[in-house]
Amino acid sequence: MALSFLIFFVGVSLTLYHMSGLLRCIPDGISSWTSGKLLEDDYQQSWEFQNYMTNRLESFLSIAINGYPAGWDYYGWNETSVVSEAVAQGGSDWSFVGNPELWREYGGTVEEYEEYEEAMEELYNSGYWDEYGGWYGYNDQFQAAPREQLTEEQLAQKREKLTRMYFANIEEDKNLIYSIYYDRKLLYSNSDLLVADGSMQTSEGYNFLMYFDGEKVRISKDGKEIDIYGDGYYQNENNDWYVPGYRNFPVNDEMKKTVICMAAAKEPVLYTTGIDKSGGYQQQNNSLYWMQYNNMRDRKMLRRNFIGLVIGVALLFFSCFCRKKRREALEKIAFIQGKIWVECKGLLLFLLFLLLYAEMRKYYPYGGYGSLWWELVHGYDVSVTEVVGTYGGALLSPLWYMPLFWVESFWAVYLIVNDLKHNKKVWRQGLIAKCCDAYSARELKLPFARRMIRRNAILFTVIVVCGILMMAGTLGIVKEYRLWTYNNVWKIFVLYLFVTLCLLVAAYLTGIKNIKAARDVDALSDRIHEICNGNYSDNAGTQYTGHDLGATMTQLENIRQGMASAVDEQMRSERMKVELIANVSHDIKTPLTSIISYVQFLKEEEGLPEHVKDYVKILDEKSQRLKNMVQDVFAVSKAASGELPMNMEKLDFGKLLRQTMADMDEEIQSSRVSFRTELPEEPVMIMADGQRMYRVFQNLFQNALKYSLDGSRVYVTLKTDGKLAVASVKNTSHMELDEDKNFTERFVRGDKSRTDGGSGLGLSIAQSFTEACGGQFGLEFNADLFIVSISFEIVEDA
Amino acid sequence: MSECILVVDDDREIVKAISILLEGEGYEVLKAYDGLQALDILASRQVRLVLIDVMMPKLDGLSALMRIREKQNIPVIVLSAKSEETDKVLGLSMGADDYVSKPYNPQELAARVKSQLRRYTCLGDVHAGSRIGEIRNGRLLYRTDEKMLYADGEPVKLTAKETGIIELLMRNPGRVFPAEEIYRRVWDEDAFASENTVMVHIRRIREKLELNPKEPEYLKVVWGIGYKMEKH
Repeated sequence: MALSFLIFFVGVSLTLYHMSGLLRCIPDGISSWTSGKLLEDDYQQSWEFQNYMTNRLESFLSIAINGYPAGWDYYGWNETSVVSEAVAQGGSDWSFVGNPELWREYGGTVEEYEEYEEAMEELYNSGYWDEYGGWYGYNDQFQAAPREQLTEEQLAQKREKLTRMYFANIEEDKNLIYSIYYDRKLLYSNSDLLVADGSMQTSEGYNFLMYFDGEKVRISKDGKEIDIYGDGYYQNENNDWYVPGYRNFPVNDEMKKTVICMAAAKEPVLYTTGIDKSGGYQQQNNSLYWMQYNNMRDRKMLRRNFIGLVIGVALLFFSCFCRKKRREALEKIAFIQGKIWVECKGLLLFLLFLLLYAEMRKYYPYGGYGSLWWELVHGYDVSVTEVVGTYGGALLSPLWYMPLFWVESFWAVYLIVNDLKHNKKVWRQGLIAKCCDAYSARELKLPFARRMIRRNAILFTVIVVCGILMMAGTLGIVKEYRLWTYNNVWKIFVLYLFVTLCLLVAAYLTGIKNIKAARDVDALSDRIHEICNGNYSDNAGTQYTGHDLGATMTQLENIRQGMASAVDEQMRSERMKVELIANVSHDIKTPLTSIISYVQFLKEEEGLPEHVKDYVKILDEKSQRLKNMVQDVFAVSKAASGELPMNMEKLDFGKLLRQTMADMDEEIQSSRVSFRTELPEEPVMIMADGQRMYRVFQNLFQNALKYSLDGSRVYVTLKTDGKLAVASVKNTSHMELDEDKNFTERFVRGDKSRTDGGSGLGLSIAQSFTEACGGQFGLEFNADLFIVSISFEIVEDA
Repeated sequence: MSECILVVDDDREIVKAISILLEGEGYEVLKAYDGLQALDILASRQVRLVLIDVMMPKLDGLSALMRIREKQNIPVIVLSAKSEETDKVLGLSMGADDYVSKPYNPQELAARVKSQLRRYTCLGDVHAGSRIGEIRNGRLLYRTDEKMLYADGEPVKLTAKETGIIELLMRNPGRVFPAEEIYRRVWDEDAFASENTVMVHIRRIREKLELNPKEPEYLKVVWGIGYKMEKH
């Protein structure tokens, strides 16, 4: 399961990472030119190389003709180009002007900085900056600098110096060797190996040769000549070599005197010269080396991206086969996610994007124009030019080719979706939600009206705070932009004040109404509470007209009346029932008294025949039984109606059982069943009426004695679980028990013929007495096993 | 001289049955069938004891009892079909000396009549101060010096253990003793399975001194707690 998810995870991550890596190359246009060369190992095939070589040729031509290097760009043959070229080729940068600390930080020496500053001052003083300085967007100061006119002599000096600097920079870089001839005279060369005779022969290690013979440019690579001009017109700036010799780019007379030969190394190496005093190193121009280095690096990266993408896609493909397992894994993850506070999740997300931001800051460390935010908004990107080596700005924001952005965003969104899908109410699991819960729980304890007041207070506060914030915000804006001068600023404040006041008044009015309604609800719920507690008394004094809930109150009143009369009715009928039974039993008792008395006299009569004695004996038995029954019926009806006077006291349940058994010892001993007891030694205290409970157990034991199978055992146990004391009496019935029979119903007996002398009220009395004492009476039977259990709550022995 | 007893009940058969029963015991019986008749008879005859029913026509038993108490201090036993505890308490509080519920047990009724008469005639005022060495409780009297118990002035035959229990309980009327304590103090041994032994003795004593051993008035079980001598 974990493995399947891991495969999926790695697959998606790799795919996204490397896909975006490849996407970085796309913004500069998948023109056939570029795409064809994307995977080219030979740096000489790159556009950059072509650009570099044509630029060099241009400069060399300028040097040959004018004596100083100048580009033949659209700025024409002027000094600006010379200067900018010099700066560019010297690797200089305006960033260090007036900042020697930074210079040193970047590894420069003090002497170098002086030199650099001098060159920069010279550039600044060249007096052409006010026209083109804005192009660099560097500094207002330069823009505002006064134009300074140079004399011809000074200009010549500067030009000479620039030329010197130019060659000083590229001389020792033997990756590019060159020879420049003018009027058949060798002007500059940095190598003896190069022969400019048009033979197109290159020496060892150099495989690219560019030869300008004054008319046309010839290029040979690896010994093969390349067709430059095609149909003879310069058309496509992406494709064609930007060199003189086209029909629409002819050479002039000056050029015709020039012969230039350049050769580039097949495998450029890094040229460095040790610097004398400081012991530092100075790198030579090395443009070709870095070009090749970057080229190799980019190809490597592309290849890596491609391989990664393939692996990623393959893993994704594999993960398709274990989708079910992955779903399980996702459910587990969702389970874990469900435990995390939503605030933590938010913080993690925030940290994630902070990380991305930090990552981006690495590429765009500066603020202002060209900074990260500028790039994010405008989507102009320099990194693309760096990597693939084209110009033409990518129109996409750099976010799009940051591989980590893709991976992180994907997983963030994926996990959020997973969380939302599996966990209900994600926002409930959090600190804020918990606080809210706790708050509302506390609030719920308050009466409704108080709650409403609280809520209204919150609304009030929010309105006031909003009003203040609005005004403060406006004040801030006014102050920031110095809008005091506008006459109608105060109107805005009046408007805000007015809106806030209106809202407050509206909130107040509805709040008053709500609180009133809430009071009504409180009254209603109080009334309901009263009725629930059994207070059915009339509340006629209260008037409900004008209440929001008047109608409901009236209805409740009706319900109350209905209930009150129903309860009264029931009470009356119950009382009547008890009275009836009391009267009936009294009316039965009076004749019964006579019967018993006279039967007694008959019993004592002597000389009666035997069979008459038998009759008398039967009369005696039956009259005694009738007496018992009348008493039992009376007891049951009183207990059931709750009118039995109870004398509750704390007593020992175990002792009660022992006493009852001791009390009935004779009956037990003389019966044919035996008792097995299991009673705890320590007292088990309960609250009950001892006399009634004695009656209960007396009945139960009598039943057990009467209805048990001969020779069987009656089990009397008392068990406690710390809270509840359960006494149970188990016996084996001597006859089959009818499952459907409710034994506790009055007059129900196991034996339908009712000839065994019981009143049929034993269990009924036991049940009603137990319940009147607050205990639980349970009855169950399993085959012939008859179990009565009586449980009471244990009270603390204090 | 036979003592004269007035029996009042609206049920003639019951009055007859009671008179047969009491005449058998050797008393002279006067009969009345409502409260007014009873008062008439009491006004004209010297009566030693009254047995009176509660529910009667003309004048009910309790009202008649109140009238009797205005003039005489003779023992009155209330006879009623109402067997509730509250009825019993009501009757006794209105001046009745005893209460017997219907249907009565003839032997018990006879015993109660006898007991009331004996207390009234032999002992005089029950509430007279007891002498030293005597513990009096209702119809019971325990003489500590001779270790003898008298019920209605007649000695009750008890065994040594029974006497021990009675002495303990009579000395502390109203106090509840757990079986273990009774055993420890009377048998002077550590209590073990004492419940049954004590209960057996208690039951035997009851049979000897209670008028109706099934509904004891003196030697009571406090269920789930112990045993006590009810204070009268």
